[in-house]
Amino acid sequence: MVRERKKRRYVKSVSGAIVLLLIVFLSAGYSQDVATGQATGNVLTGLQVIATQDLQFGDLLQGVAKSVGRDDDANSGIFTIIGNRGSGISAYLTLPNYLALPDGSDRMPISFGVADCAIDTAGATPSTILLADGFIDEDPHNLPAGIQVGSGGVGNNETRIYLGGRVTPAVDQTAGSYAGDIICEVAYNGT
Amino acid sequence: MRAGLYIVFVFLIIISGHAMSRAQSITINNDLTFGDMFPGVPKEVPKYTAGSAAEFHVSGTAGSELSIEFTLPTYMHMNGFNMQLVFPEDACAMDSSATPDQSSPGYDDIDPWHPITYRLGFNGLTIWLGGMVIPKIVQIPGDYTATIVLTVTYTGN
Repeated sequence: MVRERKKRRYVKSVSGAIVLLLIVFLSAGYSQDVATGQATGNVLTGLQVIATQDLQFGDLLQGVAKSVGRDDDANSGIFTIIGNRGSGISAYLTLPNYLALPDGSDRMPISFGVADCAIDTAGATPSTILLADGFIDEDPHNLPAGIQVGSGGVGNNETRIYLGGRVTPAVDQTAGSYAGDIICEVAYNGT
Repeated sequence: MRAGLYIVFVFLIIISGHAMSRAQSITINNDLTFGDMFPGVPKEVPKYTAGSAAEFHVSGTAGSELSIEFTLPTYMHMNGFNMQLVFPEDACAMDSSATPDQSSPGYDDIDPWHPITYRLGFNGLTIWLGGMVIPKIVQIPGDYTATIVLTVTYTGN
């Protein structure tokens, strides 16, 4: 009798252990793990371009060509580029071949020399910019590589482009106010 | 009968002990980090770039086959603004060797968009993931994030 009870207790405990271990085995053997990682990134300030000053030739005489230097504080064309300080940009100028009357009835040639542009990354002015301030005597049809927004110095997140040019009125040029668009495009280049 | 039960008991102890002690787990060693980005300039983080590519480490029973599955985002977000996030079909790599080499992984150019089957090594399994973001020209500045979910399951093989 005692022996029978002992046997039953033994069978019961072994069966319980087997069930328990089976549950553990099934749950652990086919377990799953999930990890949640992140993708992170910081987008920097976008670029802004402002046509700060038009390239102004003022009054012109028929048959008399007139130039405005890129170092002319009052009359040179000035574009201001604002963005993330020290970041590399690519800049392009789309330059007109003619100025035209508003009604398109007459045109006047305009030209840009290979040294008619300066690029100021240091907060100088058209008349005071030096080579150390960026780029001087550059070809506006082919702006240099390596332009930055500002010089990387504290507080300077601007670059300015100074542009000169030359108009050549014909001897029978129609009187009036002539104008042409100069387009400045800039983009970050990732440097 | 007693002997039979004893054998089954010992057998189950061995098997369950084996399975229980080596259940797989995932450790995130590194997030996918793009750092500073310029508006309008796409930026790629190759899977080979230590410190920037995402890195996961899976540990478990050596030699066991795993099913590895990513749930990948298609955009990063910041305050409701989105930025496109791309994972090319070869953006994932893994290495189950004793000394995982991120620059020359044992199993390379894996498509993270589909479930991957691979075996754990003695030193577990290290998984790397690269990606590319495409900020718009007028992308709003700020810190963008997205969630990458990695699910790992024993296949039983």
